[in-house]
Amino acid sequence: MDTSASEQRLEQLREKAWQEGVVPGRGVDVAGGPIPRKPGYYGEPVVKPPVWTWEVPLYFFFGGIGGMSAVIAFGAVLFDHVDLARAAMWTAAIAGAVLSPILLIMDLGRPHRFLNMLRVFKHRSAMSMGAWILTAFGACAVAGLIALELHAHQISPGTLNQLLSFAAGIFIFGAAIFGTLLATYTGVLIGATAIPAWFLHRTLLPIHFGTAGLGSAAAVLELMGHRIPALNFLGFYAAAVETALLIWLSVAKHGAADRAIHEHGSGWFIRIGEILTGPLALILRFFGFIPWAAISFLVGALVSRMGWIAVGKVSGSDPESVFAAERY
Amino acid sequence: MIGEGLQSSNQRKHSYVRDNVEVGFFTDPTVCIGCKACEVACKEWNHVPDDGFTWTGNSYDNTGHLGASTWRHVMFLEQDRQKGSQITGPMSLGDHDPFRWVFLSDVCKHCEEAGCLEACPTGSIVRTETGTVFVQDDVCNGCGYCVVSCPFGVIDRRPTPLPDAGGAFKCTFCYDRQKSGLVPACAKVCPTESIVFGRLDDLRTRAKERVQHLQGLGYNDAQLYDPLETSVRGIHAFFLILGEPEAYGLPPKPQVPTIYLESAWTAAFATAIASLIVTLLAFAFSS
Amino acid sequence: MAEAHPVGFRWVMKAKERGATIIHVDPRFSRTSALADIWVPIRAGGDIAFLGGLVRHLIENNLFFRDYVVHFTNASCILRDDFRDAEEGETGVFSGWNGELCGYDRKTWLYKGDTGLSFPERDLTLQHPRCVFQTLHRHFARYTPEMVEKICGISPELFHKVANALVAASGPDKSAAICYALGWTQHSKGVQIIRTAAILQLLLGNIGRPGGGILALRGHASIQGSTDIPTLYDTLPGYLPMPRGDGSEATLGDYLAAHTKRTGLWNSVPAYFISLLKSYYGKNATVENDFGYDWVPKITANHSFFEYLYDMADGKMEGMFMMGQNPAVAAANSRFERASLSKLKWLVVREMVEIEAAAFWRDSPEVGRGELKTKEIETEVFLFPAAGHAEKEGAFTQTQRLLQWRQKAVDPPGDARSEAWFMHQLALRLIAKAKQSNDPLDEPLRALDWWYPEDELGDPKMEAVLAEINGWYTNPQPDADGVVFGVDREGNPHHGSQIDSYLRLKPDGSTACGAWIYSGVLGPDKINKANSRNSKDYLGHGWGFAWPSDRRIIYNRASASPTGEPWSDRKKLIWWDQAQSRWTGIDNPDFPLDKSPEFRPTGNERGLDAIRGDAAFILNEDGLGWLYVASGLQDGPIPTHYEPLESPVHNALYSRDTNPAVHWFTRQENRFAPPGDARFPFVLTTYRLTEHHTAGGMSRFLSHLAELQPQLFAEISTELARELKIDNGDYISVVSLRGAIEARALVSRRMRPIQLNGKTVHQVAMPFHFGSAGPVRGGSTNDLIPISGEPNVTIMEAKACTCNIVPGRLPRGPAFEDWIARYLPKDGPPNLHPEQPAVDAPCARAGGGHGLEGKIDNR
Repeated sequence: MDTSASEQRLEQLREKAWQEGVVPGRGVDVAGGPIPRKPGYYGEPVVKPPVWTWEVPLYFFFGGIGGMSAVIAFGAVLFDHVDLARAAMWTAAIAGAVLSPILLIMDLGRPHRFLNMLRVFKHRSAMSMGAWILTAFGACAVAGLIALELHAHQISPGTLNQLLSFAAGIFIFGAAIFGTLLATYTGVLIGATAIPAWFLHRTLLPIHFGTAGLGSAAAVLELMGHRIPALNFLGFYAAAVETALLIWLSVAKHGAADRAIHEHGSGWFIRIGEILTGPLALILRFFGFIPWAAISFLVGALVSRMGWIAVGKVSGSDPESVFAAERY
Repeated sequence: MIGEGLQSSNQRKHSYVRDNVEVGFFTDPTVCIGCKACEVACKEWNHVPDDGFTWTGNSYDNTGHLGASTWRHVMFLEQDRQKGSQITGPMSLGDHDPFRWVFLSDVCKHCEEAGCLEACPTGSIVRTETGTVFVQDDVCNGCGYCVVSCPFGVIDRRPTPLPDAGGAFKCTFCYDRQKSGLVPACAKVCPTESIVFGRLDDLRTRAKERVQHLQGLGYNDAQLYDPLETSVRGIHAFFLILGEPEAYGLPPKPQVPTIYLESAWTAAFATAIASLIVTLLAFAFSS
Repeated sequence: MAEAHPVGFRWVMKAKERGATIIHVDPRFSRTSALADIWVPIRAGGDIAFLGGLVRHLIENNLFFRDYVVHFTNASCILRDDFRDAEEGETGVFSGWNGELCGYDRKTWLYKGDTGLSFPERDLTLQHPRCVFQTLHRHFARYTPEMVEKICGISPELFHKVANALVAASGPDKSAAICYALGWTQHSKGVQIIRTAAILQLLLGNIGRPGGGILALRGHASIQGSTDIPTLYDTLPGYLPMPRGDGSEATLGDYLAAHTKRTGLWNSVPAYFISLLKSYYGKNATVENDFGYDWVPKITANHSFFEYLYDMADGKMEGMFMMGQNPAVAAANSRFERASLSKLKWLVVREMVEIEAAAFWRDSPEVGRGELKTKEIETEVFLFPAAGHAEKEGAFTQTQRLLQWRQKAVDPPGDARSEAWFMHQLALRLIAKAKQSNDPLDEPLRALDWWYPEDELGDPKMEAVLAEINGWYTNPQPDADGVVFGVDREGNPHHGSQIDSYLRLKPDGSTACGAWIYSGVLGPDKINKANSRNSKDYLGHGWGFAWPSDRRIIYNRASASPTGEPWSDRKKLIWWDQAQSRWTGIDNPDFPLDKSPEFRPTGNERGLDAIRGDAAFILNEDGLGWLYVASGLQDGPIPTHYEPLESPVHNALYSRDTNPAVHWFTRQENRFAPPGDARFPFVLTTYRLTEHHTAGGMSRFLSHLAELQPQLFAEISTELARELKIDNGDYISVVSLRGAIEARALVSRRMRPIQLNGKTVHQVAMPFHFGSAGPVRGGSTNDLIPISGEPNVTIMEAKACTCNIVPGRLPRGPAFEDWIARYLPKDGPPNLHPEQPAVDAPCARAGGGHGLEGKIDNR
């Protein structure tokens, strides 16, 4: 009989478990003695965790960048920063009209049927709305980019050029409007689900995704060389909002309902992400390390998206979180 | 009722689809013998592939949970409680040392307000003539949004390399059988009519009477699980349960996630507008 | 019943819904227990003590149905003066025991007088000290509730709960039924356990009553049919005994003299037997050649399964046809079975999948460990594809003696064929070969009347077979009324019209009948009643055909009082219609229709004429229900509690532990641990799961069933798990004196430790469905079970033996040998149990007498 300290400890745990039913603590699964007592029905999930893989957080990331780039492009156009506008529209088109749809289609279980997304228009389905938003955005962004480029290259003089300028303005405005929605709707998408860690943060998520998108778009453009005060301003704004959101997230806990965020490893992805987009980006930008601030923000925005999906998987697999969330 | 032969609502032909009658399942564990005929019949009729050969050690339940390849799932609960007035010897004559084994066949709830249906962006998931929730497999492109929108964790996306992988699957309420006037496979084979198929209103009446009858027989913790007062507004496949819903992995107060849309979209729009304004301000003040 | 007969169990649930009390007696809390009103956990092997305790309770407290018992049972019959009960001296052994032959000389068990069992002397006051009732009283006197607790672990309070429920549910206007299955049959005293239940039901007046009786739930769908039209070596269709080859039944006359009873239904053995011979040999069977009696095989020894298994192991068997059986998994001591199969020269297996018995030569635990080497196995295995149940036509006979015809839904795929096709085609070829030869040994084959018409696939027309089983007049009249399939294969007129009941059968060759009990199923109205599906009443008349003569409740005369009125209006079934002078009622009367209740024989009558008007049990010579079995059983006229052959305790009632007349099948590979052996402290019992079917050939290979129970497990109590430090789901090795297997531990409160006479005994329960073939695999639980033969029917004791549990997985490969040597000594004598006969004793292998299905044997 092995009487080493760990064996004795195991014996104690068994006895305790037998008496009390559950032994709290990490790494110990002797709840209930020979038959562990687990919450719910044998600890089986009550809802289902998301089936999504890496394409989805990446889509959130690029969608945010693309959508908000169009907003910046709109501002740039209004205030005559044509080069910036062009760069922003290229970013918008590539990120939002090329990469985003590709990532989304890749994530489908049956990718060849992606067009079925446009069979219906359901305002009560955030994903349906998102499909249309993405489509509208893509149309406007590509059209706007083409018009802008044609205008910028002075392809045709005179009235045609003015027409192009006007068209570019309209399309870029459209891209901006749909772009804001593209960047924020993804927060609604995961906020309006049955996953406790998600729906308990359904207000925070759209704000976070949208602001992260704005800051990421600005960061990308800055890294492309556009070091202008407007973008710096947006950088500060985004980082400040992210910092506030980090504080909000950390303070407004929901006990067992969102313990996936606060007690599980995957929650660290969110926190690290938020630190990178929030306080760290703020500090770096404050001290003038703009490229570093931009990089920090971008990395943080990506990590945070991945964290939220990871947390969703954990929360969705946790029966107790569903029961606890009913209180809220 | 057992022994009604072809007259039972589980056997006789009907025209519910043609007449747009709302149908339902009433599942009663007090007569369930845990035989799993419902699981097998469902798989046989619908050509559902096997779900893996994993022994769980969870009583006799090696199925685990509902999913893309399990549309009926029999639960096995071993509890230190009494079932009605059952005596489980040797030491006990009912009071001390009680024990019971409860079996319940779980299924898609076919909610009155269905999370999966609302979430589906392709219009694949629809409401049928009989009020059931049906996934049109030839439309579904496997986006997986229904999976996280079901408050009961029913629907799932079938992974490769199983047949018809990529799509979302769940109980069809044997819509194809119903269209021909037949009864769903699980109800047809249930030997003790623990699963009862029929008109939803009839079933709800019958279920209420059943609960009263059972409570009279000593089943103190018998209750109906049919969340009419939540945003789900009731389920067409409802249950009688002994004890609390949590023990069955059922959420006591399920909600259809569309109730979260308002606050979420508000935040989204606010952020959208704020982003636009801030951007314009950013340019305005730095020009 | 919910586990193994879930569809049939719906009727139990319906009864429960209508207020019936459901009592489940089982070592483990199964899915049946979950729905029962009372679960009685019993120590596996203690059933006679428990039932005997109930018997004693009824007698002591005068709770039995007196009128019924006095008139309908043999309670009043007087026994011989030289009869000694097992109770005398508390030995557990009856008078007439011959230790050398390991059997009883049963003369002293008969009724007093010289009329055998017919016209016995009776005391209707039940006071006579040597009447059956008083004998029963003395026999069960010590089966008190306290004794029941000592032997079975059932508390007196629980015992009384059950007793009260039973009594409350019996009587003139109530009835209670007992259903049993292999939990009672697979014991070394299985027949006696059932007998105790019969005594109980007779005392309560439940036999022959609606909602009463004893329902023998069979092990699978048509196994009743497989004893009616037997696949057993010692009976002929309709439970006629197989003739003996020891010279005592050398002629037809000898046979008939030995087996024809003076009174009761068995008085007509000549009619049944000769009609059977006519069905076998057709016009070749004549008065002159004793209807072909010489051609009928005669038995020379006990050729039941385990007997020839030993012959196989000793290399004395050349080949075997194996159909619908998988002994590599399902037979007791399956490890030994698989090794024995390798001694065959050839093996023909008909199956739908390659079961373990067909694959043993290349894949088995023994081959895996190197104990058997494929290269050295010389068995040639022929695997024939078999048709599934929906791919062939025929009848199933189930537990209610109900024949239900099965129609063919589709043709079998490819080369798969039914058993009927196989036997038919084999017979045609063998008969053709026999016709070419001059060898007198082939005469029986030449004489066989193989007339069956075929369909396009080569299957014999099964309704033609059914027609033959039903019986017909042998005079060929193909155009007469009531003739079906009147011409043979060559197109010649073959037989006359069908008969409508066994009462038509004659011993003069004018009738032929394949099984007298089935007569009436396809009568002169040409309707295949087994195929009808129009149930007319609650008994199911119009749905299928219940033998005999569609009587749904056998012995239903007992549902009416001795004077012919129903015991109560509520429980009326048949009654005597004074105006019409006939028995009538809801069921077909199991009684001569015109015999008045007032009828009393003079003592010179034969057959059914000798039965009194108030005697319901017409199969028996005395017409009475047998509380006491004066003739027909090998191991005692009254059930006596014996311990299982392997038991953790000694017999608390008698000095004899085990059934004296049991066959031990002593052999090195088949050893028994002595009582209370500390190496094997736990009681092992085996059982079936709903999800699987017997040896798994029809379930493990189907993904939808296999995924429901994909792995072998052993159910143990939480207390035992705690003691052995096993968690739910751990791998454990279960070892007995025969072998070892590994399983997952399923720890559950459904298993309870039992207190036996102050000693805590743990029970371990395992399903036996797994083997080494197919998509889900596991150890074969029968590797652990010893071979033994209950004295009457040679059934093994698979429900109670002893084992040990070792946490952890079983060692693989050669390490297994060293590991198992700790529990199974390599050397030493094969008989380790003190009551096991010496190895060279004459009865070491077979007990006295053959298994004769408890019917006739007065040797």
